[in-house]
Amino acid sequence: MNWFLFSSPSTFYRLAGSLAPWFFVLAAALAAAGLYIGFAVAPVDAVQGEVYRVIFLHVPAAWMSMFLYFVLAGWGAASLVFNTRLSAMMARAIAPTGAVFTFIALWSGAFWGKPTWGTYWVWDARMTSELVLLFLYFGFIALANAFEDPRRGDRAAALLGIIGLVNLPIIYFSVQWWNTLHQGSSVSFKGTTMHVAMFRGMMLMALACWMYAIGAALVRVRSIILEREARTRWVRELRGRPGVGAAEGSRA
Amino acid sequence: MSHDYYIWMSYGAAAIVVAVEVIALRIGRARALRRIEEERDLETQD
Amino acid sequence: MNATAQATALPAPSGSFTTGFSWAIGRDLTLALRHPGETLLVVAFFVLVASLFPMGVGADPQLLLRIGPGVIWVCALLAAFLSLPALFSADYVDGTLEQMTLSPHPMPGWVCGKLAAHWLVSGLPLTVLSPLLGLQYGLQPDTLAALAVALALGTPVLSLLGGACSALSLGARGGGVLLALLALPLFVPVLIFGAGAAEAQAAGLSPAPHLSLLGALLVLAVMALPFAICAAVRIALD
Repeated sequence: MNWFLFSSPSTFYRLAGSLAPWFFVLAAALAAAGLYIGFAVAPVDAVQGEVYRVIFLHVPAAWMSMFLYFVLAGWGAASLVFNTRLSAMMARAIAPTGAVFTFIALWSGAFWGKPTWGTYWVWDARMTSELVLLFLYFGFIALANAFEDPRRGDRAAALLGIIGLVNLPIIYFSVQWWNTLHQGSSVSFKGTTMHVAMFRGMMLMALACWMYAIGAALVRVRSIILEREARTRWVRELRGRPGVGAAEGSRA
Repeated sequence: MSHDYYIWMSYGAAAIVVAVEVIALRIGRARALRRIEEERDLETQD
Repeated sequence: MNATAQATALPAPSGSFTTGFSWAIGRDLTLALRHPGETLLVVAFFVLVASLFPMGVGADPQLLLRIGPGVIWVCALLAAFLSLPALFSADYVDGTLEQMTLSPHPMPGWVCGKLAAHWLVSGLPLTVLSPLLGLQYGLQPDTLAALAVALALGTPVLSLLGGACSALSLGARGGGVLLALLALPLFVPVLIFGAGAAEAQAAGLSPAPHLSLLGALLVLAVMALPFAICAAVRIALD
């Protein structure tokens, strides 16, 4: 199979269009399953009570925020190495979704912290790094859009993403480096110390977030492709198709 | 504040933000398609 | 290569890292010394802001002792933002940057020279002045020493990281603000470990872990960032 076939914007546009809805469907299904397990199956926490159930949102969102940045930097690196436009467009497509998950992680962390630690905001390593990650996303988006020439923005932001990638290990290992209020990492590859239903709920929610992120990125990259490739024949030929015009109804 | 409040605020904010993102995606796509149609109209005017 | 081309082609002058480095550092230092106002501005800003904080938060000795290292570090960061935009932009605007890129000297050489010059006129004065400012906050001599060592290790990292952000945002809309947005997240680990070192010392603990981490950041930055800055400058010049 010729993988580079999919690095052509026109081919990828169609592929993304047919795949995206399935990712959203998967996301909804996995989220339903995950929330069911999280709220109906997993037992009440002995210490925290019901409020610990925020974990089924907070932890997957935090994981996704870091994972998406890694993927964004990967696409950016690919765009620099292979000089492919589509890789850079994928990085741009991922960034806002990554920022969304970062915000969700911060917000849910605050509302988890108030009843458990007594305060909405704690300047511990993880929360601080998550806040820094939010600014990294903002910086990426700002830099990518700061130039007249979108390719310059692509390349600069890709390089910035790689530089920011160094921040990610510091986030991940910060809990081990510091004594903080934050809960010690209880999910490791050697096993887990939490109840198995809690673990399953978290994993399902994490997968749901992942599917949603892919779906959102695919939809967003299609819009980016349309805007960037507006002068090409295949985009112009899109216009004549009834599905394209009808979907937007009357032009308002 | 009951613990339900914190759960609702967390999941509620997440739901709102996700809804905003989905709406933004649709707006972005509409804008891109509109721009293409405008260009086509400009071309057919020539 | 045919005979004509061989006869007319000039021998390629060989460049080296050290030649480029010493040329760039000499040039930038000379330029800085010719405009002492700009370089002193950075130092003055540092001292001014650090002196303002006690007026804002009150002269309670315990409070000042607690916030001193952090405030001084934040002032160092803010002072860096003042000096960073000028690192590449002046040369970019008048075309010198392009000429330097075309020179036979390897790019990392003169880039490091510029960064070294930048540190010498911004980071180093801040490091030297920090004990004086620390005295304003009532910091003890051992804390002052830890703070100075931390700044000595951290400010070069700030120059390197800031230099990368400065190169990335050359000619961008948003200018200095964009640079600050890009640089602040990258500065945070340096700030945390740097201020943490002095605070640890003040609390009676050893600052060694923090200083080691700072040292590791410095080594990583020196090894990796010059190449990133070269790439960023090339992207800007395309």
